[in-house]
Amino acid sequence: MAATDARNSHGALVGQAILAAAMTMPCLQQAARAESAPESALLSYKYLDYQESQPGEERIGVKAQAVSLLMPFAGAWSVQGSYTKDVVSGASPRFWTKGSASMRDTREAVDASVTRYFSHDTLTVGANFSDENDYRSKGFAISGTHATEDKNTTFNYGFAVSNDDITALGLEESKRKVDWAFGVTQTLTQTDIVQLMVTDVDGKGYYSDPYKFNDMRPDSRHQNTALLRWNHHFIGPGSTLRMSYRYYTDSWDVKAHTFGVEYFQPLPDGWTLTPSVRIYDQSAADFFVSEADFPGSGQYHSYDQRLSAFGAHTYGLRVSKTFENRWSVEVMYAKYLQRTGWRLFGEGSTGLDPFDASILQLGVSYRF
Amino acid sequence: MKLSCTLALAAAAFAAGACSSLETVQPWEKGYLAKPEMTFEGDRLENAYMEHIYFSKEAASGGAGAGGGGCGCN
Repeated sequence: MAATDARNSHGALVGQAILAAAMTMPCLQQAARAESAPESALLSYKYLDYQESQPGEERIGVKAQAVSLLMPFAGAWSVQGSYTKDVVSGASPRFWTKGSASMRDTREAVDASVTRYFSHDTLTVGANFSDENDYRSKGFAISGTHATEDKNTTFNYGFAVSNDDITALGLEESKRKVDWAFGVTQTLTQTDIVQLMVTDVDGKGYYSDPYKFNDMRPDSRHQNTALLRWNHHFIGPGSTLRMSYRYYTDSWDVKAHTFGVEYFQPLPDGWTLTPSVRIYDQSAADFFVSEADFPGSGQYHSYDQRLSAFGAHTYGLRVSKTFENRWSVEVMYAKYLQRTGWRLFGEGSTGLDPFDASILQLGVSYRF
Repeated sequence: MKLSCTLALAAAAFAAGACSSLETVQPWEKGYLAKPEMTFEGDRLENAYMEHIYFSKEAASGGAGAGGGGCGCN
């Protein structure tokens, strides 16, 4: 605990130093010029229909609605807010992919942020809050960017804290997380831009799942990611290829690789088509107990399929139509398939059924 | 913080190396880079839905920035 406190204190001091340096840079003392502020406001609505399936078992279905507003004001500022309401129903497995724990719950979430734009910098402060019948989350975040004089290189930084309260099944538990993010965005050519982001998340508190059979997890979790993204524009067809790779590792010994590819193709009359593929691989948490290892030994153990070793594919297609450069309507359908035999690096856990999910999103937005 | 410090230094070195070895893209050459599909933000609500789904079904999460709300779904 003392070492962790020292680490958090060190991280907080580094963050304060970065913010202090940012605040004293000459560019921030100049009169603001809103070169990067949005030119117009954007109001968006999106509906989600999500349905899981697993052989022989009822699984979770979610119907959600969300609305988001982005609005510039006073030339060098913008404000953004969103509200989401999920209705979750169905059942999730109690151990591995067996058993059923039926449930129905409504979750509401709100978030808001304010951004100040400077000639070469931005600074964003935001908060988020979500509430469901057995879980409440509150968070605060600050982030910013700093561009070099030629604006071909941009440094990104972010800091966030969150507090979660868990009251499921009569519990009175909590969880606290501190996030750091650093990155750099670099234009390579007229048609290429890349970004590398690294994050560090330190969490302490209650991580076990009270709805899962005999689930006992550590009271801390340290997570790190490195995310590399590359966008390339094809001048001839006017299309854009968006590629990404994320490496993830944590103190539960989970290691994951995520590869993503999207191909954005504009079509005549304001139509666009975007097919996408996501390939995911994860190793098991060191306290995950597979069928072969049952009943397991040690202080921590979980039979949660989501902590097992598996691979997953997502195949998606988004179609959108824009009217008079103001109204935009879009439909996105994706299929998510999770299989223990689809790992890229290593063996999958045994004795777990396939897991599928269908994802349908319908959206409309208005620019004004 | 050891891994993230190493990666942050690598990011800075990457930027320094990229800056020194690449031709500068001039402001009048940034028309394609200014297209919305060439940014890394994407559709806010779509990203939020998809990240929430992956957070609730997979062990890994995050990567694009700091923060984001928690839920009882994981």
